[in-house]
Amino acid sequence: MIPLEPVRLKKERVLIITWSITFLVLFILLIFLGFLMRIGQAEMKKLLLADFYSLMTLHGLGMTAVMFSFAFAILWYLTSTRFTSLNIRIGYLVYFTLLIAIGGLTIGILIGKFGPGWFLLYPLPFKSGTWLSWSAGVTIISLIVLGIAWLIGILHLLYRLAKEFGGFGSLLGWQYLRKKEVEKELPPIILVTTISLVPALLAFIVGAVMLVMYLLQFIDPELKFDPLLLQNITLFFAHTFVSVTLFCGVAWLHQLLPEFTRRKWEISKVFVYFWNATFLLILIAWFQNLYMDFVEPGAREFSGQILNFLSAIPATIITMYGVIVQFYHSKIKWSVVPLMFLFGVAGWAIAGFAATVESTISVYKVFHNTMFVPAHLHTNMLMGVTLFILGFLFYFFCEKTRDYGGEIAKIGFWFFIAGGYGFVLMFYFEGFSSIPRRYARYTGIGIKSMHDTAVQFSQLSVFFVIFLFIGLLIMCFSLMSAFLKTERNRISE
Amino acid sequence: MNFLPQLILQDVAGIIILGGVLVVVAVVVFLIITSNKGADHASDKNKFFGTKDRYFWGSALFLVCILFLSMLLLPNRRYQDEADEVVTVVGVQWDWLMAVGQSNQKPDEFIGKNEISVPVNKRIKFIVTSSDVTHSFAIYNKSGVLLTQIQAMPQYKHELEYLFTEKGKYTILCLEYCGLAHPFMAGTVYVN
Repeated sequence: MIPLEPVRLKKERVLIITWSITFLVLFILLIFLGFLMRIGQAEMKKLLLADFYSLMTLHGLGMTAVMFSFAFAILWYLTSTRFTSLNIRIGYLVYFTLLIAIGGLTIGILIGKFGPGWFLLYPLPFKSGTWLSWSAGVTIISLIVLGIAWLIGILHLLYRLAKEFGGFGSLLGWQYLRKKEVEKELPPIILVTTISLVPALLAFIVGAVMLVMYLLQFIDPELKFDPLLLQNITLFFAHTFVSVTLFCGVAWLHQLLPEFTRRKWEISKVFVYFWNATFLLILIAWFQNLYMDFVEPGAREFSGQILNFLSAIPATIITMYGVIVQFYHSKIKWSVVPLMFLFGVAGWAIAGFAATVESTISVYKVFHNTMFVPAHLHTNMLMGVTLFILGFLFYFFCEKTRDYGGEIAKIGFWFFIAGGYGFVLMFYFEGFSSIPRRYARYTGIGIKSMHDTAVQFSQLSVFFVIFLFIGLLIMCFSLMSAFLKTERNRISE
Repeated sequence: MNFLPQLILQDVAGIIILGGVLVVVAVVVFLIITSNKGADHASDKNKFFGTKDRYFWGSALFLVCILFLSMLLLPNRRYQDEADEVVTVVGVQWDWLMAVGQSNQKPDEFIGKNEISVPVNKRIKFIVTSSDVTHSFAIYNKSGVLLTQIQAMPQYKHELEYLFTEKGKYTILCLEYCGLAHPFMAGTVYVN
């Protein structure tokens, strides 16, 4: 691609800066909701049950939407400024749709008290009696609108990339498997982006079908759907969505990390094979959740475990290996950006390993639906995806100064790591202690030792979230000052 | 779990995960410490490429072994149709209704109690369903250890077999979020 004209580059920069600031504000607000939930569980402040479940629903739906949207925005920015031109109007469409959807979700959830959790497990959204009936409609419509905007955004991005690199097969790196010499080199970020966004596309289509079914039921409450079918759809959607958000981060890791290690990250045949295998495995890893359903065919349960174990192999082998080769003896200068990338990969590895152990059927039986689930989910999202995102933000905002926030950012980073790991560790301990998840209070359990354990871990967790918060605020301050410095330099130039 | 008590299962899984975490931490520390030592990148790369095959086949073999071993511990369908006693369970927002014997009543007409007694060392088959939303029927022992669980789903009957080897009071909790009073949806099984 020919370098972008300054005017277009500026436009793309304005979009990503707007998006970054929005992300940070929403992210901190949504963490705060989680913090309130932990305070309630710690019995430090009494939270009404309905309020707890509204917070839980908004925290879950909001986080998944905001994190995926921003991960997409980063890929959008890197693609449009380095590989192929994109229609910026579509970028803004996705951005404003996210704002509208978050507004809709907030109204439906905080005012209408809609609280079925981010899973919206059928038929709970329609069978509660505790939330206002319109709130389900507002939430479902907000999610449908957001899904459509994502679909348009992803299709546009993939279409332009396919055009630039000579077809969809080339985006998946198939040209490397032929005997012929490869004419146009494919940057690994493009391959991993494709591997992330195509399953996302499938997940959104399936998710959209589910939401339309929900909308039909909302309009006509007499309708009835099969709860097993809808549970399968929900699990497929949720699993794929979470994996895909992480893989978006892995995609820009391939592009940005080499700038720090000064080592090229190349595509090889093995790389293509492994990522193509991951492509399929992302789509079937959700089978593990079916162990709970006796009526599911046994073969699917066995295959769930086998596929889950297998899905751990290709993506981890190729990425961990790539990351080790990047860092080993690289004489790298340890600013926060490579630190965040390295720790992000470590967070992913830990979450992935914990999830693999959990996917063993016999373990699953005693870990599923306990705090072990938020434990590995938060390790994945907070200690994986969030670090990849923060790494990008420091990279982007300090591109000119190249000091990457200096020592202040590093202090913030270590606070975040200490607070974050302390926070997820409490979830793991609760999981090992069989504490159920999604309990607003532990007073109804009837087993005193369990109640006490849960409350104590929640209290410790509150302490760690404060630590994490401090780290995050220090990093935001550092980012903000880097941004202002760059802008001042730009004006004086 | 015939030969491995459930109590140990959570601990074993925890130790395995801890082992994994330690490996990850060791790699991170190793990479940070060695990053300053210079060496020729090409030779490093060869060194790593050389180990990749071993790494791949080693981990694949390890996983296959674990798979084989873990499948011996499959919790479902162990003594299907051979149970000594059948208990019907219906989850309702927000209570557990239970009765001895197989019931042909519709879930929303089912009459059962929140407490039930079953014999020790007998194979109990729970037939679990729901009259409204999806719940999860989970059995906890008196120390608060989760022993087993199964989804309670409307329109479906799920079966869960369990052998209580100790007498005492067991608590039933709902583990699938089912609305406002989800954390208060508890029942009791007395094993005599």
